[in-house]
Amino acid sequence: MLHLRAMNIGTAGVYFCLFLALYFEVFLLVSFLGKKPSKKTSKLPSHYPTVSMVVPCFNESRTLASTINSLLSMDYPKDKLGIIVIDDGSTDNTREIGEEFARREPQVSFFHKENGGKYTALNFAIAHSTADLVGCLDADSFAERDALIEVIKRFEEDEKIMAIVPVMKVHNPRTPLELMQMAEYTFGIFVKKMFDNLGAISVLPGPFSLYRRKVFGIVGPFKHAHNTEDMEIAFRIQQHGLKIVNAHTAFVYTTVPATVRTLVKQRTRWTQGFLQNSQDYWFMFGNPKFGNFGVFVLPFGMAMFFAALYLTAYMLYQFVSSTVLSILNILTTGIVPQLSLPRFDWFYFDTSTTTFVIAITLALTMISLWIGRHIAKSTFGLPAVLSYILLYGLIAPFWLAQALVGTVLARESSWR
Amino acid sequence: MKVDWTKYLLALVITVAIFYTAYYVASRIDANRIADIRTTQQNISIDLLSTQTQFELLGSLDCQAIKENPILSDQLNSIADRLSYAETNLGKDNVEVIQLKKQYSLLEIKDYLLMEQISQKCKTKTVSILYFYSNNGDCASCARSAEVLTYLRQTYPDLRVYSFDYNLDLSALKTLISLRKVDGPFPAIIINNRAPIYGFRNLEEMQALIPELKGLATSTKAN
Repeated sequence: MLHLRAMNIGTAGVYFCLFLALYFEVFLLVSFLGKKPSKKTSKLPSHYPTVSMVVPCFNESRTLASTINSLLSMDYPKDKLGIIVIDDGSTDNTREIGEEFARREPQVSFFHKENGGKYTALNFAIAHSTADLVGCLDADSFAERDALIEVIKRFEEDEKIMAIVPVMKVHNPRTPLELMQMAEYTFGIFVKKMFDNLGAISVLPGPFSLYRRKVFGIVGPFKHAHNTEDMEIAFRIQQHGLKIVNAHTAFVYTTVPATVRTLVKQRTRWTQGFLQNSQDYWFMFGNPKFGNFGVFVLPFGMAMFFAALYLTAYMLYQFVSSTVLSILNILTTGIVPQLSLPRFDWFYFDTSTTTFVIAITLALTMISLWIGRHIAKSTFGLPAVLSYILLYGLIAPFWLAQALVGTVLARESSWR
Repeated sequence: MKVDWTKYLLALVITVAIFYTAYYVASRIDANRIADIRTTQQNISIDLLSTQTQFELLGSLDCQAIKENPILSDQLNSIADRLSYAETNLGKDNVEVIQLKKQYSLLEIKDYLLMEQISQKCKTKTVSILYFYSNNGDCASCARSAEVLTYLRQTYPDLRVYSFDYNLDLSALKTLISLRKVDGPFPAIIINNRAPIYGFRNLEEMQALIPELKGLATSTKAN
C-alpha cells in the first residue's frame, strides 16, 4: 500500500515536471509567433562607433592566434576597432603570441597581468579602453567577418540597448558529443531569440557579447560572481532595467568540450553559477518589477533545474527497483528469462497520457530546434539530433547533481 | 519591464488543452482495449455455450476433434494477459476492469467444468490448476507465483491454469472457493482437484508437485 502511494506521488511529480516543460516550450513558441526574427539585410550601419574587443586568455596558445586573426579580418574600419589581448598570468607561450601580434598589428594591444580570474582581465581591459563599445571574445572562439557590423546595426535600433549577445554556433563538430552540443546550442539559439522577444536575456556569454562602455558606469564592473561573471552582469543589467538584446544575424563560432569530463566540468560551473547567482538575486524571482526576467526566466530556470533532477531520480529509482526485482524474481522463481523478440500487438503499446505528453514535448523541441537551425543557417541533420536525444539525458544529470552539491556545500566550481 | 500576462494565460490554456487532449486520446485507446477484451470474451462465451449445448444435445462429443483443437485455451490465456495489462494500467479498482474480471472468472469456471466433463467422456488426461491470488496488498509473492504458472503454461500448452482474484465479489467464484475449501494465506493452488496448497512455490517445487506434467507435451520453449 505504501509502495503504491509512493508510486502515485512519484507519477504525479512526473506529470508536474512534464507540465512545466511543456508550458515552457509553448510559452516560447507563443512568443515566436508574436514576433518572428527579421531577415538579414545588406544595409550598413549609419555610423561606426569605436569598439574595443577584449580577448581575455589564460593558457590559450593553441587557439589565440586564430581568435585574434578572426578579429583582424572583421569587416569594420580598422581605425575604429581595437583589440585588447589580456594575458591573465598564462604559464604557456600565450604571452609570446600576444606580444608578437602587438608588435606586428597596430590594432592589437597586449597586456600581461598576474592571474586573477577572467573578470579581472575584463575589468583591466575596460579600464584601458576609451571606445564607445566594449566586446569580449573568448580565446577559443571565432566571429564571422560581418558579425560586428550586424551587432552595430542592432545597437543603432535603440539607444537604450546596453548589451548584445550574438548567435553562438559550435566550431567544427565531429564527434557525437560535439554534435550533441551543436544541437543543444541550436536549441539555445531559439531560446535566446525568444528571451530577446521577452526582454529577458539572462546571460552574456564570453564569445562576442558587446556592451556600451557606459553601462559599466551604471551597473559597475564585472564581478567574480561564482566564476560566471557573464551571467551575473546580465542579472545586474536586468536589475537596473536596462536592455539586453540578441543580434540573431551575428554569428560566432566556439570550440566546445571534446570529452565528457570537460563538458561536465564546464556545465557544472555554468549551472552552479546560475544557482549561486540566483541566491544573490533572489529578490528578482517572481517579481513583476523585473518584467519577464523576474516572472518567467528566473523561476522557470530554477524549476526546470529541479524538474530535471527529479525526473532523473525517478527514472533511476524505476530502473534500479525493476532490476533488483528482476534479479530477485530469477533467484526465487528459478526461471531465467529467455531473450525473445518484442511482440508487436497494438494492445500492449504504451499509450498512456504521459507517453503522449512526452511525444508532444519532444515534437515541440524538434520545432524549436528547426527554428534555431533556420535562424543560425545551420545545416546539421539527423546525427546531431540523435546524439542530442540519446546523450543529453544521460550526461546532463551529472552536472546538475554536481552543481547542486557544489551549491549546497558552497564549494567553488572550477574553470577547467 | 512590461509583463504581458495575456501571453502567460494563452500558454497556460494551450498547455492545459494539450494535456487534456493527451488524456482524452489515452482514455479512448484504453476504452478500445476494454472493448477488445469484451469482444473476445463474448466470442469465448458463445464458443463455450456452443460446446456445452452440443454436449447436452448429443450427450457426447467428437473426442478426436477436441484433442486436435483444444477448446479456448489460447483465447483464455490471451485474455488473461490482456486483462492483467489493463489492470496494471487502469488500476485494480477500475469499474470496467472489475466487470471484465468477473466475466473472465465466469468463463474460466465454465471452461473448467466443461473440461472436467469432456475429460470424463473422452478419457483424456488433463492437468488443471486453480490459482487463487489476492491483490489487496496481502500477497507479496502472488506476482512471482503467477510468473511460475505462466512459465509452466507456456512450456506445457495442454496445462490449463485458471486464475482467480480471491476478493472478487462474484457468487459463482465464492461457491467454487467454498467447495474447494480455499481460505489463505495466498497464493493458493489446487492441482487436479487435490487439496489446496498454500504459499509460494518456485519452478522446481511446482514441477515436483505436478507429476502429471511428465505426460504432457512441451512447447519448443521447454528445456
